[in-house]
Amino acid sequence: MTHRMSSTRLEAPRTTRRALLWSLFAFSAFGGRARAESTREFRILVHPDNPAVALSRDFMTDVFLKRTTRWPDGETAHPVDQRASAGVRESFSEGVLRRSVSAVKRYWQQRIFSGRDLPPPELESDEAVVAYVLKHRGAIGYVSSGAKLGRAKAVSLQ
Amino acid sequence: MTRRLGRTRALRLGRWALCAASLLALPTQARAEDNADSSNPLPIEIHAFVSQGFIKTTSNNYLAENSTHGSFEFSEVGINFSKQLTDRMRVGIQLFTHDLGPLGNYRTRFDWFYLDYRFWDFFGLRAGRTKLPFGLYNENNDIDAARVPILLPQSVYPVSNRDFLLAQTGGEAYGIVPLASAGSLEYRLYGGAIFYDTADATSTLSNVRGPYIFGARLMWQAPLEGLQLGASAQRLRLDGDAVFSADQIAQLQMAGQLPADFSGPLKFHIPATLAVASVEYSAHDLLLASEYSRWWVSLNSTVPAFSVPETVSDRFYVMSAYHVTPWFTPGLYYSVLFPNVTDRKGQNPPSGSPPGTAPVGRGAYQHDLALTLRYDLNSFWLLKLEGHYMHGTAGVTSALNDNRPLSSLTEDWGVFLVKTTAYF
Repeated sequence: MTHRMSSTRLEAPRTTRRALLWSLFAFSAFGGRARAESTREFRILVHPDNPAVALSRDFMTDVFLKRTTRWPDGETAHPVDQRASAGVRESFSEGVLRRSVSAVKRYWQQRIFSGRDLPPPELESDEAVVAYVLKHRGAIGYVSSGAKLGRAKAVSLQ
Repeated sequence: MTRRLGRTRALRLGRWALCAASLLALPTQARAEDNADSSNPLPIEIHAFVSQGFIKTTSNNYLAENSTHGSFEFSEVGINFSKQLTDRMRVGIQLFTHDLGPLGNYRTRFDWFYLDYRFWDFFGLRAGRTKLPFGLYNENNDIDAARVPILLPQSVYPVSNRDFLLAQTGGEAYGIVPLASAGSLEYRLYGGAIFYDTADATSTLSNVRGPYIFGARLMWQAPLEGLQLGASAQRLRLDGDAVFSADQIAQLQMAGQLPADFSGPLKFHIPATLAVASVEYSAHDLLLASEYSRWWVSLNSTVPAFSVPETVSDRFYVMSAYHVTPWFTPGLYYSVLFPNVTDRKGQNPPSGSPPGTAPVGRGAYQHDLALTLRYDLNSFWLLKLEGHYMHGTAGVTSALNDNRPLSSLTEDWGVFLVKTTAYF
């Protein structure tokens, strides 16, 4: 009896631990699916003279975190963000950068105040992003899926 | 005299407060101008932060003179200006002032300034006063907004070392080397000198300087998104003079620690090698980090009695944080410090050490369990609450505790901190 009781006591934390782990995995899995779906909520656009038609998520991440500063043809990349509270920013951040907007802001706080780098400009609207992209050959931005792109070129995400 | 010092401090504070208040009005205007002129991809960027904290300990004065009664001597103000001159060249400067107990005292200094030329993504050069890339977070030691905890794990990032281990004046080479499917490798190589503000030191120290520091950091961004592993090492030396009063000299001569013909000052050199291995996983809302560090430090002096043979210390922490919502992030870490790896319990101080220099008893370890609650009240204002359960007194300063030996201070104690930061 004593033995059974102690083994039950030993099992209880293990069960709790397992439940916690499963919850974590389930949360990650559902979170990942929700985020993957959110990638449909934005479109990526570049200057019409940019030869790119599809971009990998890794390249996009490197450009928006400024680990890569150039396009493959040598043109300087000018990523442009939307304001932190914009829904499209959240979709882009989770879907492409695989980080929350808060985590990305923290990344930039680290770099700004340690003198390492500066974040991409944050524009107020889809229209401002389209205008920015049309003005700079190396620009890359994202807008809501229903936004008017004008002459800007939409590229797909690989 | 005290009143005059108080007035000077108040004037400094007032000046900074005025400066900060006027600067806090700037960001909206600056951003609006940037947006209006979106044709300029290379604007001047101005960023600043103002922090005020409060520290209270259940016993043992820690970081501030009077922390057992609660202390507001925990303030930081910084402002930086950066300009991308060309696609490849950038300049920047940051002014910083702070007060943390006996440190800082609102003396304004250049935190960093640099000229940066990025030839390619895999090679760039930076010259000026640059922050030291040591471990994951050394560069962010004074950037409250960039992290969850108020105090980074003090075993690896002691705030008392901030003034001489945060930045160097010299040069740095850096770059990111893509490794195809194996991720990428970020490297930083640097060398220069350290300027030490003697005003922060005890009255017996003068002319403290760091004639050299050099080091490297390698961080491997693994193919698994958000995972990075790294190693950092640095070698440095601090030189200085210890100046004793006539009474102190007489006492030390009577104790046989100074030769009879000693006329001072006592010159010392502190060569040190610091190394740290790091791992961080940051994906979506989760942050996990852990670092193990080892420091080799010795003290060579013109008077043998004041020399300390090389001491090796162990430092380790594991940390996690999770963005529950965009405005709420709790964080937790456990950190441990052993100032002398050969005597982790403080029971066998090494023979040959000058009296009072070897950690003894509870002064030979520090276990620190910390819980932080970070509230992002809006995008430029945050509030943090933090509690620490401490076991051991390594890392505590005797000078803040009436020069009592660390082994006589309270072994189990708590630290509570509140800090608010405005930044843009």
